[in-house]
Amino acid sequence: MLARVANNLFWMGRYIERSEHLARYLNVNYFSSLDAPNELSQSRDFVLRSIMYMVNDEIIESDIKLKEEEVLFNVGLNTEKPYSIITSFNSAYENARSSRDLISTELFESINRINHSIKNYNPDTFVKNGLYDFTSMITKSTAEIRSKIKGTILHDEAYAIIMLGIYLERALQVTRIINSKCSDAAVEKSKYKDTVIDDSHQWSTLLKCVFSYDMMRRFYKKTPTKKTTLEFLILNSDCPRSIKSSLFLIKKYIQKLAVNQKGSTNSASFLIGKLHCEFEYKLIEDIEKDTEGFIRDLINKLIIIGLKLDDNYFKIPEAPVSKTNNISSTQKQ
Amino acid sequence: MKNTIELPLFSAYKFDSNFYDELFNKNKEIRDIYKTLFKLFSQYSVTEFNALNERAKESFFNLGITFQVYGENSVQEKIFPFDLFPRIIEQKEWDTIEKGVLQRSKALNLFLWDVYHDQKIIKQGIVPIELISSSENFITKMKGLDPPEGVYNHISGTDLIKHADGNYYVLEDNIRCPSGVSYVIGNRTAVKHALFGVFNKYNTHRVVDYGANLLEIMESVKPKGVDNPVCVIITPGVYNSAYYEHSFLAKQMGIDLVEGRDLFVENDFVYKRTIYGPQKVDVIYRRIDDLFIDPLAFKPESVLGVPGLFSAYQKGNVCLVNAPGTGVADDKAIYTYMPEIIKYYLDEDQILSNVHTYHCSREKEMSYVLENIDKLVVKPVDESGGYGISIGNKLTKEEIQKVKDTIKANPRKYIAQPIMSLSTHPTYIEETESFEPRHVDLRTFTLLGKDKEYVLKGGLSRVALRRGNLVVNSSQGGGSKDTWVLK
Repeated sequence: MLARVANNLFWMGRYIERSEHLARYLNVNYFSSLDAPNELSQSRDFVLRSIMYMVNDEIIESDIKLKEEEVLFNVGLNTEKPYSIITSFNSAYENARSSRDLISTELFESINRINHSIKNYNPDTFVKNGLYDFTSMITKSTAEIRSKIKGTILHDEAYAIIMLGIYLERALQVTRIINSKCSDAAVEKSKYKDTVIDDSHQWSTLLKCVFSYDMMRRFYKKTPTKKTTLEFLILNSDCPRSIKSSLFLIKKYIQKLAVNQKGSTNSASFLIGKLHCEFEYKLIEDIEKDTEGFIRDLINKLIIIGLKLDDNYFKIPEAPVSKTNNISSTQKQ
Repeated sequence: MKNTIELPLFSAYKFDSNFYDELFNKNKEIRDIYKTLFKLFSQYSVTEFNALNERAKESFFNLGITFQVYGENSVQEKIFPFDLFPRIIEQKEWDTIEKGVLQRSKALNLFLWDVYHDQKIIKQGIVPIELISSSENFITKMKGLDPPEGVYNHISGTDLIKHADGNYYVLEDNIRCPSGVSYVIGNRTAVKHALFGVFNKYNTHRVVDYGANLLEIMESVKPKGVDNPVCVIITPGVYNSAYYEHSFLAKQMGIDLVEGRDLFVENDFVYKRTIYGPQKVDVIYRRIDDLFIDPLAFKPESVLGVPGLFSAYQKGNVCLVNAPGTGVADDKAIYTYMPEIIKYYLDEDQILSNVHTYHCSREKEMSYVLENIDKLVVKPVDESGGYGISIGNKLTKEEIQKVKDTIKANPRKYIAQPIMSLSTHPTYIEETESFEPRHVDLRTFTLLGKDKEYVLKGGLSRVALRRGNLVVNSSQGGGSKDTWVLK
């Protein structure tokens, strides 16, 4: 498979997954804050800041007043914001288009149709009363796309590369969501430090953001706490969205690619194997000691793995093709 | 059958007896072959047909059978205009077309070999040397070079029209990687979905086997010493207006669609950059113009091509489909010598007629042209896509004078032909919500390889959507129709 096309497929997978997590975070955070238990967690400002922190790592100065419609538009449909859902999905589409000869017609058709729906979504409707409808449409659509990926394309290297993109992005996004909600919980705790507050709503929201609330309840049969939530989302091998599950799958798919290659200690395959092994024997007690440090370290490792994949498999010379090349080609039509 | 005027969908169908209408005969009766199809169309109300038409357009849009228009701040995605009323060609009529286009493609191939080798046809005075020596599309570097298996024009697109006399005429040959075949297949799929009821009543040849045949042709022209050739298509990239077609053909054949930067040349062999390192490439269907394929051999500023590709080709280590330099033979000036070219190489009379052509390079013919511009179509010999064409009866006095001056300034550059009356075909016009006659032509696709030839049984019927317009090219606002060749 062409290295350039492999790169397109990898990023297609990443952007599809990213779109879903952005949409889900927006949806769950916004709607669960509406009836949250205390003044802070109910405040629009608090939830908008949480959203901006998750989507863009942006900590907004406390004296800046956020406008709700502006934040929602920026995160949902602003094509000029690199972190918006529309930008993310459009990137998935562009990557699919650049490799459409390799993916199935059915898969491309889904991506193309959904991209049209997103592009044509009315921004006024979205910020006034379409938030639920739009974000739900994204999560349903990404599920449809994943099912087309699994069900219609050859399970060869191309598939392994898309899956690598999906699960690497999933691991990263889930880590970022955990980070963001831990930060919300910490802010809440410091504001109400003189009273004992029930912060379980923050953990329920976190679990819902990762589609894992119901299954977590089934597993622990108790109201979520910080410890059980983090244990479930980071270390539970049966939870399909836990970091550990994602790492297991990243390892599985990199092995499909690395089959011809001898492992060097500096290769993506080696780094993934090493990280996965660390998680095999990790306990929640180890993480609890320094959750922030653990998250920082994990994000760094995942970013390095992404760069290594690029280095090992996708390297080609700089892209010379630009829109103007079309004009220079006087193709006989 | 109901009087057509009573049918709302056909209420605006205005006959013009100067043209051959493919649906109605001179007595305004439905031609036999269209009777069943017409019956179906006459059952639709305007609302029903509009809905059907919208659904068909939507399916093109969802499948991404589109091109993109780049504005300053935004990108617009558009579908190629498509008409649901298919064109039908009877078997007997098709047999002549098929034999005729194959004959031309073979003759052109032999002509190209000769032009780039001994030039016997020129030495014997059949084709004038000036046509070759002054052609911008003659590639000196191709002289004496033997393309694998002696094939130059692996893929030919022949444009035909049906004249008022009911006969087909060749308008031009396209052997510089002609485009449009993906729309033939796309149109067929759309029509099958929309008109499945009537499709059953016509025994039509399928068109979907084009990809498989193209791959066989490509594999048949592999370089010497290669057992299992690796074939690829090279595209200028996603921004090219024909990108959909490039990706479609790659998918149909299951081969890689590469860009220039995916390939490199080492020791005169071509390699593609894969996730596991370089892999040798043997046959390249290139959808990049001659002068852009290799910056070392041709335009140094080209970023679309592959440095060293032409050198690998010269060494016989890779096959290019079509060969560079084929443009010298699909030039509109060479076209006029086709009867002689066919006779010379194949010792046959031409099966499909040419439209009579006047060469402005010949003094006598130029003076005829200058005196009769209002009755002629004047075309530059080396332009494509319908650019630079003047249709005499549409010009003002001032415009006629301007055309005269242009011809006089560079007579070699122009030819003229009588204004041909392209046949008309019922075409749905959204503004009037009814079918109206519109001019159509037909592009056929012919493949030549080692011991193998193939003509796609169908073709792209291109339709000029503006009333009275004779230029059908998509770059000039033309649309297309599905074309049924009956068994």
